[in-house]
Amino acid sequence: MGDSILTYNGGCVLAMAGKNCVAIAADRRFGVQQTTIGTDTTRIFKINDRLMLGLTGLRTDVITLYHRFVQRLNLYRLREEREIKPASFSNMVASTLYSRRFAPYFVEPVVAGLTEKGEPYLCAQDLLGAPLFAQDFVVSGTCAESLYGTSETFWKPDLSPAELFEVTSQSLLAAVDRDCLSGWGAVVHIITLDGIETKFLKARMD
Amino acid sequence: MLQGVGVAPFKSTSEWLPSILEQQHMMGTTIMAVEFDGGVVLGADSRTTTGAYIANRVSDKITPLAERIYCCRSGSAADTQAISDYVRYYLSIHELDLDDWPLVKTAASICRELCYSNKDRLLAGMICAGWDPHYGGQVYTIPLGGTMVRQPYSIGGSGSTYIYGFCDAHFQKGMSREQCIEFTKKAIALAMTRDGSSGGVIRLVVVEESGVSREMIAGQDLPSISAE
Repeated sequence: MGDSILTYNGGCVLAMAGKNCVAIAADRRFGVQQTTIGTDTTRIFKINDRLMLGLTGLRTDVITLYHRFVQRLNLYRLREEREIKPASFSNMVASTLYSRRFAPYFVEPVVAGLTEKGEPYLCAQDLLGAPLFAQDFVVSGTCAESLYGTSETFWKPDLSPAELFEVTSQSLLAAVDRDCLSGWGAVVHIITLDGIETKFLKARMD
Repeated sequence: MLQGVGVAPFKSTSEWLPSILEQQHMMGTTIMAVEFDGGVVLGADSRTTTGAYIANRVSDKITPLAERIYCCRSGSAADTQAISDYVRYYLSIHELDLDDWPLVKTAASICRELCYSNKDRLLAGMICAGWDPHYGGQVYTIPLGGTMVRQPYSIGGSGSTYIYGFCDAHFQKGMSREQCIEFTKKAIALAMTRDGSSGGVIRLVVVEESGVSREMIAGQDLPSISAE
């Protein structure tokens, strides 16, 4: 249980693609190994109205990296005078992580957003910035293996926003209920061309 | 210095086996037993883990040793299952010789003997509780080293650390059967909320002269914790 620094605080993120929409969901636990300290943590951060970033792993690095990205994005907006594209942001995340190749940030990010045309964009990376692009779903966190299992079972192509919310919620809840280090609440964000809708799930608090 | 082509690069399987295959089934747990006049209440959560994966989320950690004697198990699932099987076996033979209800102290003593003699190889924390006609309801705790101590109530497992304060504040001598049940439910619910290794459902067993009753309290029926 205490073997990896990536599992020290616990937590997980799941992002799925639907028809012209994406959902990104996470649990809300903050713990120190087996002890649960907080049940209202945020690990999904809004980049703009069409892009969100989920960060799992060591909590201190999650917070530090979030502030770092806010800084770089503000500069980007000032220089480019436009919002960043999902693919470009994903690249920014990857190069930030790789810049610390030999003393890494202990986080595993998930980028979820919509392109200008409204097509879903999903990207998960490991702690060194190696990207994994997917058309269906991406997962990260202490129960990643369980999330792969539930997502593979429930996902199908061309889900509407309402269906996508249901599929994402059920996949996340079923997986965290089998993990000691994740859970204690859950949040789901659904990104469509009309904006972001946020819902909190009623989850097991154990 | 031995030199040869057949030297293995790894010293043990833990270096190359994925951790989920190496790790034992553990019951990082919350267990509890409370004595009342005429019997005992035993309570436990239902989570068994392999590392951080929950191998069984509805396990039963309250096992019968005799008709009116039960034990709560924490620590290694394999060790505690083996110990309770041995205790049940020895106790059943003893019961035939005795031709009477076995004493709770006897069951606890057999448990203690196994835990103490094999202390270097076992990881087992057990609470042995039940009823006998001579001394009524009794709770005996047998933690890791093999000590045996009788207590009015006992808590154990990894989740118990979170509820010492609650139990110290809320326990009173001479509580009724119903008060003991409520006390146990609330304590275990609190521990399950804080301890990652505890969770699932609350299992309650009430042992008294008239018989044994079992209860399971699932998620939606758990006592509410006000801090949410």
